[in-house]
Amino acid sequence: MQTIGQKIYDFVDERIGLKTLQAKMMNEPIKGGSRWAYVFGSCVVFIFIMQSVTGILLMFYYIPSADHAYDSTQYILHEVDYGWFILSYHFWGSSAMVVMVFAHMSQVFLWGAYKKPREMVWLVGLALFGLVMAFGFTGYLLPWDQRAYWATTVGVEIMDKTPVVGDFLARFLKGGPTPGQMTLSRFFAIHVMILPAALMGLVALHLFFFRSAGPAGPFRGTPEELKAKTDFFFPRQVWKDIVAMATVFLVISALALIEPVQLLEEATPDPGDYHPEPEWYFLFLFQLLRWKIFSGEYGQFLAATGIPVLFLLLLVALPFFDRSPERNIFKRPIALVSWAVVTIGIVLLTVSAIVNREYLD
Amino acid sequence: MQPRIKSQVRCTDGVAGEVAHVIADPLLLDLSHIVVRINGTERQVPITIVSRTSEDTVDLLCSSAQLAEFPLFARENFLTSKEVEIPHLEDHIHVEPGELFVPYPELEKSVPRRRFFTAFTNMMSVLIGLPLIWPVLRFVMQPMYAPFDNRWWKVGNISKIKQENVGVQFIFRKSVKDSVLMREDDKQSWLVKASPDVLKKVYEHGDISFPDNDGNVVWVNKATVPYVAFSGKCPHLGCGYKWRSHKTRGQVFLCPCHLSLYDVAGKVLDGPAPRPLDVLPIRVAANGDIEVIDVEYKSGKSEQVRIT
Repeated sequence: MQTIGQKIYDFVDERIGLKTLQAKMMNEPIKGGSRWAYVFGSCVVFIFIMQSVTGILLMFYYIPSADHAYDSTQYILHEVDYGWFILSYHFWGSSAMVVMVFAHMSQVFLWGAYKKPREMVWLVGLALFGLVMAFGFTGYLLPWDQRAYWATTVGVEIMDKTPVVGDFLARFLKGGPTPGQMTLSRFFAIHVMILPAALMGLVALHLFFFRSAGPAGPFRGTPEELKAKTDFFFPRQVWKDIVAMATVFLVISALALIEPVQLLEEATPDPGDYHPEPEWYFLFLFQLLRWKIFSGEYGQFLAATGIPVLFLLLLVALPFFDRSPERNIFKRPIALVSWAVVTIGIVLLTVSAIVNREYLD
Repeated sequence: MQPRIKSQVRCTDGVAGEVAHVIADPLLLDLSHIVVRINGTERQVPITIVSRTSEDTVDLLCSSAQLAEFPLFARENFLTSKEVEIPHLEDHIHVEPGELFVPYPELEKSVPRRRFFTAFTNMMSVLIGLPLIWPVLRFVMQPMYAPFDNRWWKVGNISKIKQENVGVQFIFRKSVKDSVLMREDDKQSWLVKASPDVLKKVYEHGDISFPDNDGNVVWVNKATVPYVAFSGKCPHLGCGYKWRSHKTRGQVFLCPCHLSLYDVAGKVLDGPAPRPLDVLPIRVAANGDIEVIDVEYKSGKSEQVRIT
């Protein structure tokens, strides 16, 4: 006797080829076998799903108006059952996303997985990185507290320094010459509609390209060794992925519990005693702007837009000038040193921005 | 049993050739023809002519003379099953080893027409998109270039300023119409009662005039008024700065964002600021009430570019 579930499965399978689809999804051979180093991409997808779920829930109560954004966010935090948890999870989830995207990109970089034939996967990945940063930037404004308002004000002023398009871009984002309701409306539309749609499309493309090009596998080992260790995506890699996802979930939940979101005063063009600062993952750029060599119109453009854009362009060009098939990171000294320099640089700038805080009061 | 590629093809009067390809009917989802290769030519034989199929042979119902009358196989009239999207086609048909062919539809064979349709589709898309560019652009740009606001705002009374050459913060309420919302924003301005030498520094380039959108002068600040109002927006990147005491420089305006320092006349002492603090149009009534126009300039520029 077939169970009802089996009958439904067969019914669907007969019409759309579910079994084949399932097999194609799960039976992806992983050269050299499953590894913990490969969990980051799956974790990013998991975090995105959780951000979507918590984000949609927040929209049940959030009101995107300059009059009510702050109050409705406070209402979520203090009145709605578990509102503090949903909001705090969403808040910490965004930080986890940035950390995980950095880990994912580092893994791909160190493993030389951006090289031929995976250039397209890398390029779409870079676009996704841009979207994640845009998510962080636009979402930061929505609670409409002082922190939100000032991070956005300064962030948009920085974009304003881009040559030719800067003025238009800044006015477009602000919805006027100065920040206000129009800014909130635009950031809201971008954060909850435009970016998620773009992200979903590009993630699909990223995975499609990844599956078309195939996973890179380890950077060491003879073909025979790799073949001997090869397994499918399911079950060993899926198992590692789900353990990693559960860990990520626990860490974000713990952060939400230990350090729930607390809003500052409602946003106003008078900063009061608040020292404006962006979200921690933009602090290194913020700190860079404090350097004297980046003063003046040109310097500002250089630090705020020039260097980041140049760095991104470098990453875009990476698979096209780094054409040696060598993937072993220990035989790619320039790549290893560059990665270390960039990472240490970001860490140092972030730490010095935090240290600087103490001298401000 | 389905005919296999490379199987021997036998006619009623002996061996004739081998199976080169198989062709499927895209509607019946079943084999329709086999292609038999005979001495270098390939002929398309309906599946109905096949009488028996075994592991490596295919028997036909015709003679070799009749076989030679079947039409030649024209490769250009067919697609492989990988090039078309026909669901369930290969559920029951297994071609080994090789490709399964399906006929190229008659209507699809004319190449110039395909080019025309591609061009036509692209053109129509452009024709739909083009008339939308301007309305959409105007739609999103509507609030972006609002005219300057030249209203005067009462910020307080000079009685609050007790000392010369000290920055005093004035918070004032400004009502703004933000699309349909009527809102009140707190804004800050820093006022200084300037001593003659500080005043001289502020007015080192003479009177300060403030034009509106058309370039007409709305107001002129003159050095005869000893009060100077600075816009609360840091000219570096738009943060709010403060009046603070500094270890080596004494009392200064300090922006906590990127650590720009300005002296009491608004001149840059240190940090990344590209120009001095912005002076606001100020008028002081007989009773000491101070009014300003809340002029705002683009931050980060070495010259002043008014935005509101």
